Amino acid sequence: MTMTFEQMRANVGKLLRGIDRYQFNPAYFQTSVTSQILLKALTNLPHTDFTLCKCMIDQPHQEERPIRQILYLGNLLETCHFQSFWTTLEENREFIDGITGFEDSVRKFICHVVGITYQTIEHRLLAEMLGDPLDTQVKVWMNKYGWVENEEGQIFIYNQEESVKPKNIVEKIDFESVSSIMATSQ
Amino acid sequence: TRYRIIHDYDLHTGDPKADLAYERQYEHQQTYHVIPEVIKNFLQYFHKTISDLIDQKVYELQANRVSSESIEQKIYEIQDVYENSWNKLTDRFFKTSPWPEAEAIATLVGNDAVFLILYKELYYRHIYAKVSFQSFSQYRCKTAKKSEEEIEFLRSNPKIWNVHSVLNVLHSLVDKSNINRQLEVYTSGGDPESVAGEYGRHSLYKMLGYFSLVGLLRLHSLLGDYYQAIKVLENIELNKKSMYSRVPECQISTYYYVGFAYLMMRRYQDAIRVFANILLYIQRTRNMFQRSTYKYEMINKQNEQMHGLLAIALTMYPMRIDESIHTQLREKYGDKMLRMQKGDLQVFEELFSFACPKFLSPVVPNYDNVHPNYHKEPFQQQLKVFAEEVQQQAQLSTIRSFLKLYTTMPVAKLAGFLDMSEQEFRIQLLVFKHKMKNLVWTSGISALDGEFQSASEVDFYIDKDMIHIADTKVARRYGDFFIRQIHKFEEVKKIKLKW
Repeated sequence: MTMTFEQMRANVGKLLRGIDRYQFNPAYFQTSVTSQILLKALTNLPHTDFTLCKCMIDQPHQEERPIRQILYLGNLLETCHFQSFWTTLEENREFIDGITGFEDSVRKFICHVVGITYQTIEHRLLAEMLGDPLDTQVKVWMNKYGWVENEEGQIFIYNQEESVKPKNIVEKIDFESVSSIMATSQ
Repeated sequence: TRYRIIHDYDLHTGDPKADLAYERQYEHQQTYHVIPEVIKNFLQYFHKTISDLIDQKVYELQANRVSSESIEQKIYEIQDVYENSWNKLTDRFFKTSPWPEAEAIATLVGNDAVFLILYKELYYRHIYAKVSFQSFSQYRCKTAKKSEEEIEFLRSNPKIWNVHSVLNVLHSLVDKSNINRQLEVYTSGGDPESVAGEYGRHSLYKMLGYFSLVGLLRLHSLLGDYYQAIKVLENIELNKKSMYSRVPECQISTYYYVGFAYLMMRRYQDAIRVFANILLYIQRTRNMFQRSTYKYEMINKQNEQMHGLLAIALTMYPMRIDESIHTQLREKYGDKMLRMQKGDLQVFEELFSFACPKFLSPVVPNYDNVHPNYHKEPFQQQLKVFAEEVQQQAQLSTIRSFLKLYTTMPVAKLAGFLDMSEQEFRIQLLVFKHKMKNLVWTSGISALDGEFQSASEVDFYIDKDMIHIADTKVARRYGDFFIRQIHKFEEVKKIKLKW
């Protein structure tokens, strides 16, 4: 697909159902187009494009190959079951042909989720989540995000302490609210 | 049955009994000598009142006088006709059939063209209130109950109320009125007339253009394309009062569909904000609506539906909202919200079914091979996506309540309390963070704009094998309560003194 992501997003409805504004066309369904759109949507996580696509693919088509498999992969990502995702992807590699940088986009999403959850994480755990059995990817992503590892195999992600603090919201009463009461009381 | 020409606004509802009754009535109305005497008298009175008003106004304008009392009186009479008599007579004579066609009553009112325009407006509004594109689409899908003739007619005329046609009409109105350009210029403080074009400068076309945008919002929502639904409004600043936002029913409808789209897009904060705003608006303007009109019924229904949707959104994403709305919500749905928090999927689904729009299929069914529940499929599809989302977040409510109890703890220990393996618990914590970080509108005109934010009342992070939790505590607003009560007593005192 040669269109930009924004173009695709603006036209998803029409693409998924073949609705053309200017011509009277019966709706038609193309499995390959739909699969590509779904995979592209996954590359845009954490945006909810993937969920929104599901709203426009009817049930019979959702059960066709490879759409069913792609939906399954997508749900694994949405529920953060990253290890299962990589295992399942191994068995279905042919589906992602034609989407350049698919795996990198997924790893970017995984790092995003790790980045908002962890202050420090074990190297081994991160490697598992990145689907990196040969331990080649972790260093690449650590470099991208400036994450540093200590001697004990712990990777420092982000100083979460600074922003995740208990908050106490106290009631504030401004003068205007009480001024009329004060004026009428003796 | 004899084969009949069916108009675009056919009143079949899909219910065989009502349809049969309608057909009998409709055959009657075709020959106008069956118009009841009461109706004839009413129309003549209505016509006279309006002509008198116009005559009086013309006279006064020519004599350079300002509006007199007789005009005020006439305006009052017309309002009474319009809001009371018309509705009463509709209830009595035209509950399931249309009023007589304009041609049928023209001689009664001296073929007055001006009056006939008003009459046609009321005639079509009545029909629209009883049936519309949505109902027709659903009718089209309820093929099991149809006769051979009807099926043949539908098959050979797929253009009737087809999605494509409706889309085309709405888009044409939008294009012809240049409404998008006008809105762009209007919101940047310029004069919309400069870009309105030949048609768009007429207020009729301008408003048609605006309402077509709302129509597109609605149609895309009914087809499950929520992104596109909100996108068509990208030049409309929803929060701002404008010359376009003066029709209450339109405002309420708009907010309903925008809120629903936000909910399906997992923009919980935005959904909650939109619903809370419009529910407050309805609370304030309730008294303005006549109870007998279909307008009131429609607004009432959407009010109830939006409370339901708000209940769902607040369950998925607990946050503070306006106290008066929160109170109302607890009264209506307190029990259901508790059950949803405990993970009762059935309550979620029931509430969704009640509150969601009546979804449509964009596709014409294959009449030869369609099963009886075909018309429910669009709804089932949306319900499935919603239910999946609820399932994916099923553990989060429980986790949230446990997190509130502690400040620091080993991850493994808390996992044990929750009866989960440490691995699964860590995964759920990732899900929590992922699902609670949504796109939130902060600035800009388009309702699609937004930044990723999390306003979760409970937050946490994992450091090595420990979880650190931060809670947000909100102090009770005693001061606010006392101030309001004091003001109320002052009001009571004033009234007592008057008496």
